[in-house]
Amino acid sequence: MKGKYKIRIQNKRIRYDFEITRNITIIQGNSATGKTTLIDMIREYHENGMDSGIELSCTVPCAVLEGKNWKILLSSYQNSILFIDEGNRFVSSQEFAELIHESSNYFVIVTRESLPMLPYSVEEIYGIRNAGKYGGLKRTFNELYHVYRQDTMEGTICPEVIITEDSNAGFQFFETVGSSRGILSISSGGKSNLFTAILKHKAEKVLVIADGAAIGSEMNKLGYLLQIYTNIILYLPESFEWLILKSGVLNSREIDEILESPSDFIDNLEYISWERYFTALLTKRTNGTYLAYDKRKLNPAYKAGSISKKILAVMKNIEIS
Amino acid sequence: MLNIFYGDMPEAIFNTAVYFKNTYEDDWITEPLTKEMIADVDQSIVLDKGIIDSPVLGKIPPVGLSGGVKTLILIAHFPNLIFNASTCGDNCAKWLLKIAEKDDRTINLRHLMNFGNEEFEIRILNTNQVIHTMAELVPIAGLYV
Repeated sequence: MKGKYKIRIQNKRIRYDFEITRNITIIQGNSATGKTTLIDMIREYHENGMDSGIELSCTVPCAVLEGKNWKILLSSYQNSILFIDEGNRFVSSQEFAELIHESSNYFVIVTRESLPMLPYSVEEIYGIRNAGKYGGLKRTFNELYHVYRQDTMEGTICPEVIITEDSNAGFQFFETVGSSRGILSISSGGKSNLFTAILKHKAEKVLVIADGAAIGSEMNKLGYLLQIYTNIILYLPESFEWLILKSGVLNSREIDEILESPSDFIDNLEYISWERYFTALLTKRTNGTYLAYDKRKLNPAYKAGSISKKILAVMKNIEIS
Repeated sequence: MLNIFYGDMPEAIFNTAVYFKNTYEDDWITEPLTKEMIADVDQSIVLDKGIIDSPVLGKIPPVGLSGGVKTLILIAHFPNLIFNASTCGDNCAKWLLKIAEKDDRTINLRHLMNFGNEEFEIRILNTNQVIHTMAELVPIAGLYV
């Protein structure tokens, strides 16, 4: 399934308005904000339609995935948005992670637990907040908000250490940038190792660069590290490949259009997360050119002054000096 | 003291909403501590054993309380059981500390909960360390979630 989906669901007392933009969305936050009420309304509408007294507006079916028969249920849905409430152990299972890869559905999961087997974006972790009363002062209007805002994590930094999640081309790029400025560059060797890698350098000025498109599961603990150690800055582009595409070095209007609204181009059955799509796109578009991209080994062309400058210029609010 | 085991804990009761639905007692709802927790977390008023006045949902039964408050009530009333307290938001943290003030409680957390800026006393069971601030808690607990 591709695209963004606006959902409006309401009964006499409460209304939710939000948009789902990727295949995996996480809802968390304080207790008593209406997470379970939302799931209950989705379930009741799915079971009873308009007879439920609930109004649901969405261009694709919405349903709830739960219980022991979740696998059977999952296999019966295509191109739908499936909501999962907390209390369903299967969301952290390997089996669920594997089945999500083969599913055309989008998933909205209520959980505070980190789900490292699922590649969800920092951008798709939301809380629910009350946006006030609606209409005749009886109905409460709820909306989603981003739990992690990129602009609160960025800042100007003269890092002593750059830590990248990536150990391949992305790391090789920032290692080159860092070495020319006397900055130590380290790869954590994956998102799950970022926390310990940062702790080892907590006394230094650290710039952490990771793929925002799949870092969601690590954000709970990384968010606390940023609060405790103000000398650490986290920069989360969608991916290193996204930085290259965004820099304009390929000078392609079509790529600009894709980056403007990736949801319209990325089919989750083909690409479980956006960073995989951006890697495939960059590899395909540069094939046979002097910029031929190989994720495993960075093409030296990307280290050249003018191209490197363009890539670094995308990193707004981050200065590596 | 509040004892916390971070990460997967098979013996902890995972689906606290279902456990609450099938075990809660009417008298619990009108106890002062329960009323305070419901007022603070759910912004709701206990009218009687079976009726709570929610500003959003209207008059609701105890099973209509938030997942966080239901878990708090369970932790308060089952001192020998371990519950998955990741069903509680950060707005439940001070109540977890309060419940464990007089008698020890053990909970399971699968995420890092914010226990606030004040000092507190928590034992992290994974390493058997007692910590007093979030700055002490995060580097230890973060390794297990």
